[in-house]
Amino acid sequence: MKFLKKHIYIIAGLFLLAACKPEVKTAQLTHGSANFSRFIAVGNSLTAGYADGGLYLDGQLNSYPSIMAGQMQSVGGGSFNQPLFTSAQANGSGYLQLTGFNADGTPITTPVTTDLAIRGILPVPGFGNVTLYTKYTGDIENYGVPGIKLLNITYAPYGNLNGYFERLLPNDAPTNTTDYLDFVTAKPFTFFSDWLGNNDALLYATSGGAGDVLTDETTFAQLYSLSISKLTATGAKGVVATIPDVTSIPYFNTVTVNAIVAGVQKLNPAVQGIYINALVSGTTYAPRLATAKDLIVLTFPTSMIGQLVSTPYGELPYGLTPYSPIDNQYVLDANEIALTQEHVLSFNSTITSIAASKGLAVFDAYTFLNNIKQNGLVIDGLNLNSNYISGGLFSLDGVHLTPRGYAIVANEFIKAINSKYGSNIPLANVANYRGVKFP
Amino acid sequence: MRKLLLLLWLALPVCAFSQGFQVNLEGEKQIGMGHTGTGLLTDGASVFFNPGAVAMLPENYVQAGISPLVFQSVFNPSGSNVQYHTLNKIAPPFTFYGVWGPKSSWWKFGFGVYTPFGGLTDWGDNWQGKYVLESLNLKAIYFQPTLSIKLADFVSIGGGFVYNRGSVDLTQAIPLANQAGQDGQAELKGTGHGYGWNAGIYFKTESGVTVGITHRSGVSTTINNGNAIFTVPTALQSYFPQPNTFKSTIPLPAVNSVGIGFYPSPKWTLALDMNITSWNVYKTLEFDYKYTTPDLQNTVSPRNYNDAFTFRAGAQYKSSPRTAWRFGGGFATTAVGDSYVTPEAPDANRVYFTGGFGYLISKHLDLDASFEFEHLLSRTSTNIQYQLSGTYESNIYIPGVSLSYHW
Repeated sequence: MKFLKKHIYIIAGLFLLAACKPEVKTAQLTHGSANFSRFIAVGNSLTAGYADGGLYLDGQLNSYPSIMAGQMQSVGGGSFNQPLFTSAQANGSGYLQLTGFNADGTPITTPVTTDLAIRGILPVPGFGNVTLYTKYTGDIENYGVPGIKLLNITYAPYGNLNGYFERLLPNDAPTNTTDYLDFVTAKPFTFFSDWLGNNDALLYATSGGAGDVLTDETTFAQLYSLSISKLTATGAKGVVATIPDVTSIPYFNTVTVNAIVAGVQKLNPAVQGIYINALVSGTTYAPRLATAKDLIVLTFPTSMIGQLVSTPYGELPYGLTPYSPIDNQYVLDANEIALTQEHVLSFNSTITSIAASKGLAVFDAYTFLNNIKQNGLVIDGLNLNSNYISGGLFSLDGVHLTPRGYAIVANEFIKAINSKYGSNIPLANVANYRGVKFP
Repeated sequence: MRKLLLLLWLALPVCAFSQGFQVNLEGEKQIGMGHTGTGLLTDGASVFFNPGAVAMLPENYVQAGISPLVFQSVFNPSGSNVQYHTLNKIAPPFTFYGVWGPKSSWWKFGFGVYTPFGGLTDWGDNWQGKYVLESLNLKAIYFQPTLSIKLADFVSIGGGFVYNRGSVDLTQAIPLANQAGQDGQAELKGTGHGYGWNAGIYFKTESGVTVGITHRSGVSTTINNGNAIFTVPTALQSYFPQPNTFKSTIPLPAVNSVGIGFYPSPKWTLALDMNITSWNVYKTLEFDYKYTTPDLQNTVSPRNYNDAFTFRAGAQYKSSPRTAWRFGGGFATTAVGDSYVTPEAPDANRVYFTGGFGYLISKHLDLDASFEFEHLLSRTSTNIQYQLSGTYESNIYIPGVSLSYHW
């Protein structure tokens, strides 16, 4: 057609135009007054990427420091090495997997026991058995060690008592003598994140106040000051985080006193409540009826309730009489909660005041997670909350996070860094990280 | 006894005919002139532009056109430098008009088939807003028989009945990962219908200026028995019963228009149009499922749209009796408040420019080509329901061509 011949160039030009995609003008990326060329992460299980009751490769790959480091790449971040398990031993320490639901909707979890990285068990006299893992010998930027307390960071033999730390050290237990603080600061670094201190309160709480002790508040302040002085000694900048309220995690909010009582009353309406062995004061415990203010741990086997156990008063149903109360290890009672919360508040005021004095950025995890517990969190069309499994944030152990939870934490760290140092590290895309895996 | 309350996993669902879905591609001659035509006598497209003008058309018409449309959007999440682009997909709005009446009679009958609303947006399954929307394909096809009557030499009126056949196909990721870590997906797919009407009046004033006023009614379109397809991990299938259906009603808004035509010389035609689209009918979007569970609830999403205004201007220059050159443009205000912007058609104030060319191939046959470029201004918003926060910007490229036979 004549028309087409005449105007073919115009038409071709119009189609070329159509190939231009719109672009949004974004701010020039900058590292601000910070230098991310060697970023190290100091902390415990949360920092290591622990999830679902274990440390395994998939969790490590989704640790919040590695997500942060990935985002720092665009503002001068260097390489970020993690002590990863090999793919042949990808399941590391082993972990819990969700394998189904019971008819009543309760989840069934099963431990993963293949492809582990367990090297052996070392009995340590006066301490107990230490599980040893396959050694990691490469470079390390993520120094997260599951189980470590702030209390442990200057204790030289600690490398023989914690298998996750031992695997990073050159020597085999029991011959290690390097303490954690010296180990992480041995090589020069320019930026650090520090989220230590959780276990100084959490391990007491998760053991129902029975299997561990709270770190003394003054000792905590001294060690925190010491560690921050050492981390900032060579001019490195950094970000620290406060310690979450231990009662904000699903580990304590999933199995509730009211739910247990309701379950028992279905079978026996005469039952008034369940008995626990509760803290009176100091180290004195006495049995009493549980109330909604007492928290039951996620791992409590509820089937124990009502089973006959032998007591000085004869065979009595477990948990249903003052002579056969629920064991202390399964309950964080109201007084233990108060004690834990008092310590956490003290730890946090130490953390924020020392961070302020050193000019460090602070991610207030305490406020952030309490806020999620109260109000939930909606982000990019995701409805998240602190509920076990369905909340999307917490992994199957009810304490540690899912990759999605870790991505959200990484973004909160990044926001704190950006606002303190005038950088604009881009936020990670939370939608790229999964929640709990379902069968 | 670890009670598991699986609640509100789905931010279900978005699906909105927003201003972004008002297509405004109802005739190539008119597109060339900035999509004006309410106050003009141009061709069979008057069935759409002003049914009141149909009786004044000097000839009978049969015509068809197509305007393949590429809607390119970009999203830049707040606090990030990443840019997510929609995939290039071509939506094909089309028009068909027939106008017939006895020569020089006082009446004419018209019939139109056109697509006043529609959209094709595909962000893919790997972008930041995938839990809000992955892709959306929706169409509204209006069928409109029309009768127009000339009351006097200077005034005519007309009205039509509208039957709408609408279809929607929406996909959205569900944040429930399977063992491979992959998301679930929801797909809502269905067709529905609705009814409406329109009416117009057309004047030739003594000064030679022509004026048109039209009302196109709202068309409330209901989808009954749409398929609601949920792909979720096996252990959760009972929470998302299959097969399932949904019902939803989408109120396509009424449009009031006024247009004026000027004829400064025999070669020049100038036109101005203004439209008010009554988007404020769109308060909420509701989806009702046939089978609901604690995790699959009927949903109500706030939309709270505002009425939107469009101002259009266009011109035609006849360089010879056989050839016409057209150009135009306009400005449209957004119907969507800052807190309600969604990715299905990220609405914003928009500007557009058009150009066109018409050629009389033979005594009875017109070939018309048009091109429209629309730019949706950059807009930063945080959606109140989804907390998806970022900046959108969109370009729309629309070439078009039509053939009109007239006698």
